[in-house]
Amino acid sequence: MEALADNLALGFATAFSPQNLAFCFIGCLVGTLIGVLPGVGPIATIAMLLPLTFQFEPTSALIMLAGIYYGAQYGGSTTAILVNIPGEATAVVTALDGHQLARQGRAGIALGLAAIASFCAGTVATVVIAALGEPLTRLALLFGPAEYFALMVLGLAFAVVLARGSILKAVAMILAGLLLAAVGTDLETGEERLTLGLDALSDGIDFAVLAMGLFGFAEVLRNLETPEARSVVRAKIGRLLPGRAELRQALGPMLRGTGLGSLLGILPGNGAVLGPFASYSVEKKIAKDPTRFGQGAIEGVAGPEAANNAGAQTAFIPLLTLGIPPNAVMALMVGAMTIHGIIPGPQVMTKSPELFWGMIASMWIGNLMLLVINLPLVGLWVKLLKVPYRLMFPAILIFCCIGIYSINNSASDVLLTAFFGLVGYALIKFGFEPAPLLLGFVLGRLLEEKLRQALILSRGDLMTFVERPVSAGLLLVAVVILAVAVLPSVRAGREKAFQD
Amino acid sequence: MLRLVLAALAVVALGSGPASAQAYPNRPVTLIVPFAAGGPTDIIARIVGEHMARTLGQQIVVENVAGAGGTTGITRGAQAKPDGYTIMMGHMGTHGAAPALYPRLRYDPTKDFEPIGLAAGTPILIVGRKAFPPNTLKDLITYLQTNQAKVNQAHAGVGSVSHTTCTMLQSQLKVKSTLVAYRGTGPALNDLVGGQVDYMCDQIVNLVEQIKAGNIRAYAIATPERSPALPDVPTTKEAGLPQYQVSAWNALFAPKDTPKEIVARLNDALDKALDDAATRKRLLDLGGVIPDKAGRTSAWLGNFVKAEVDRWTPILKAAGAVAE
Amino acid sequence: MRPIPQDIGAGLFLLALAGLALWLGSDLAGGRLNQIGAGMFPRVVAIAIGLCGLALVIGGLRKGGIALERWQWRGPLFILGAAVAFGFAVRPLGLAVAGPLVIMLGAYASRETRWLETLVFGVVMTAFCIGLFRFALNLPIPVAPWPIGY
Repeated sequence: MEALADNLALGFATAFSPQNLAFCFIGCLVGTLIGVLPGVGPIATIAMLLPLTFQFEPTSALIMLAGIYYGAQYGGSTTAILVNIPGEATAVVTALDGHQLARQGRAGIALGLAAIASFCAGTVATVVIAALGEPLTRLALLFGPAEYFALMVLGLAFAVVLARGSILKAVAMILAGLLLAAVGTDLETGEERLTLGLDALSDGIDFAVLAMGLFGFAEVLRNLETPEARSVVRAKIGRLLPGRAELRQALGPMLRGTGLGSLLGILPGNGAVLGPFASYSVEKKIAKDPTRFGQGAIEGVAGPEAANNAGAQTAFIPLLTLGIPPNAVMALMVGAMTIHGIIPGPQVMTKSPELFWGMIASMWIGNLMLLVINLPLVGLWVKLLKVPYRLMFPAILIFCCIGIYSINNSASDVLLTAFFGLVGYALIKFGFEPAPLLLGFVLGRLLEEKLRQALILSRGDLMTFVERPVSAGLLLVAVVILAVAVLPSVRAGREKAFQD
Repeated sequence: MLRLVLAALAVVALGSGPASAQAYPNRPVTLIVPFAAGGPTDIIARIVGEHMARTLGQQIVVENVAGAGGTTGITRGAQAKPDGYTIMMGHMGTHGAAPALYPRLRYDPTKDFEPIGLAAGTPILIVGRKAFPPNTLKDLITYLQTNQAKVNQAHAGVGSVSHTTCTMLQSQLKVKSTLVAYRGTGPALNDLVGGQVDYMCDQIVNLVEQIKAGNIRAYAIATPERSPALPDVPTTKEAGLPQYQVSAWNALFAPKDTPKEIVARLNDALDKALDDAATRKRLLDLGGVIPDKAGRTSAWLGNFVKAEVDRWTPILKAAGAVAE
Repeated sequence: MRPIPQDIGAGLFLLALAGLALWLGSDLAGGRLNQIGAGMFPRVVAIAIGLCGLALVIGGLRKGGIALERWQWRGPLFILGAAVAFGFAVRPLGLAVAGPLVIMLGAYASRETRWLETLVFGVVMTAFCIGLFRFALNLPIPVAPWPIGY
């Protein structure tokens, strides 16, 4: 414990140097401002800003980069709430209720809650990383392919719970997401699958391309068709910041979200992505009136945002203690560290303690900065909603195009996004929700990969999923969740059928 | 307003007209890196590019164009205007293994480029999980030959460095382990550290810290000499498999028909970068191998690419590893 | 004519998707459990999607439900057309052309557009994006390759 205090003291001493504070601030600010542009998600933001950090001294560069990371995450949530365009998988959940709140003129409250939830989660997660980082690493190593497969199945169960309206349609969308995830070169055999021979599809569909098409463009189309939908957003803008009642309502979800997010964030293979979905499902299940979800429930913003930020932060654990990046963002971090001559690995902690602890301390400072930067900015963001839609949508359009192009400097990605915009428009007309599709897409690739890996390792024995305790436990939870989610609606459906 | 912009554009256009007659380079040079930002090739490109930009007196803008094992970016580079303002960082996969892996490849590594020079190689290591029974490379060879059916080998996807280099190892040893594919080195390494898979081959930069920490065991390094980053790891020659010599090399190329004097300028800038003490240190810290003077010429790289294509094609074709 | 129930349209859409996936994946090997082939996962998922589609169609035929909304073509045509135009213009002509193009074309999607305002807005936005992405962030996005080479 004393060692921990010493370490944290060293960390804060490093992070509180005026230079590092400045880098942290700049990182958070720039990350927020770029991340808030529709079409530019956190991964794109970090990839864009990464080269800017190459010229600085390693600790400062990493502190700035971590700031960019949180800033981009938070900026992404802002866009999701204001214009219903999530820049990454985790913001999909925030958009569900956050945007509904914005439509009710409560955008400021949603943004404020998101910032406060993120800060609280970040504070807890910082402590978790500092105190439990090492022991928790072992948890990550317990997870082999079979356990991951089970975890992904659990994720799909969450996706069903997430659904609004018809369960059948939600399941169909999840399956469609799984199918889209299968597009591209097969990992095991190198064969091209479902690509129509198009080069643009040979590496699979990029998440941002799919999300900008299904959410970004389709949302613009929907708004243009139904002017009343957007006039609501501008009709009245209520209080800018959440009051005591709202904070009290958000406290429980925030704490639960932080716990779930912290835990899932540690798992390599992008476990962090499940955090917000899990949190949303839990809140919806334990709510007295679950029908409020999807209509602007405060719990539906606070919980997932906390889970998102906690997971975003604990995702550093496998990177810092093991040297293995758990997701695409962390892989970028590895690149950033490597270019500064620090090869991430189990020895970073002992070889360069000021870097290790400085970074941990700067995570908390970064979260504080975010709060400081964003609470005043809430007013500005809310004012943005007053921009007439006839100017707003061309701006969204150009940012989306540039953002998509910049991900891989590829013009064909922009064309592909336009195609998915058309698909998204069709989905709206057929009464499908795009959120479960995106979740299915995110989980699909891992689901298939891990299934195949697990079965190769077990030489085709399906029992591997039941014999391994962690995997069996996760599968059991998934079955229970599905049963709880599906049974009432089946029953309701039957009752309805009887009434007919 | 529009008129203003048009006028401004016209001024810029006129201004740049005579400038293009000036000595190369008079505007930023685009360096295509066919992999995502932050990967080993990207890092080498940025380190080398930074110093080259100083010699050239112009910015070098790195453009990451990832896809299809790097061939998407190289295809774009091959089709760029051969004026020296677009160059690319090719590597062992794009200019050695690709013709065997991608039957629809739209460039010929030996014909469609003006080689500039080799930038740096990153050595390949053979590593195993901590509790894997074999202790030395010799043990490993015997173990693989007697336990083929049991052994699991991880790799980072068809066409990746870890896949092609291990395919070469297996072809030389005439063994076939069960292959387990991962998306990228990170997840593969995670399962190696966690003991889910038995062994793999990969670039030193991804492995060095794990070996030092004792999370995985290193059997040999596939270079003629030991690496200063891992002085205790024997070379394949010392450990009894001298024919296994392989490196994930990175080299600069220009599109075919780029003027000879521009290629010479770029080669000179690369040469100066590789002589620079700070640049060398950064590359060596990554475990990189910097070519000696003889290995830095354009002609040497041209011959090397031919040799690599000739070497990889039969091995990969025989292994049936074709990414369609 | 009676309006078509939404569920029938949705079900047919899913059936078409499943059919397309099965057809595109027909040449992929399914493999066995100890070495699942490239084709198994997409095939299983496509069949499940087809079943969902079938259930929706049957449900729609029996119960009807909400009518299928009318499709409008103005929005999709111009919004998505603008993005496509951007995609084709950005590399050869650069952001200086593709930027105003995407904004002007996109603006046709709305009847509320005021043309002079949009023109000014398009030029200002483009200048802002060039400044931000090309110069401040140093991204390799072409600005105007025809006169200035990058």
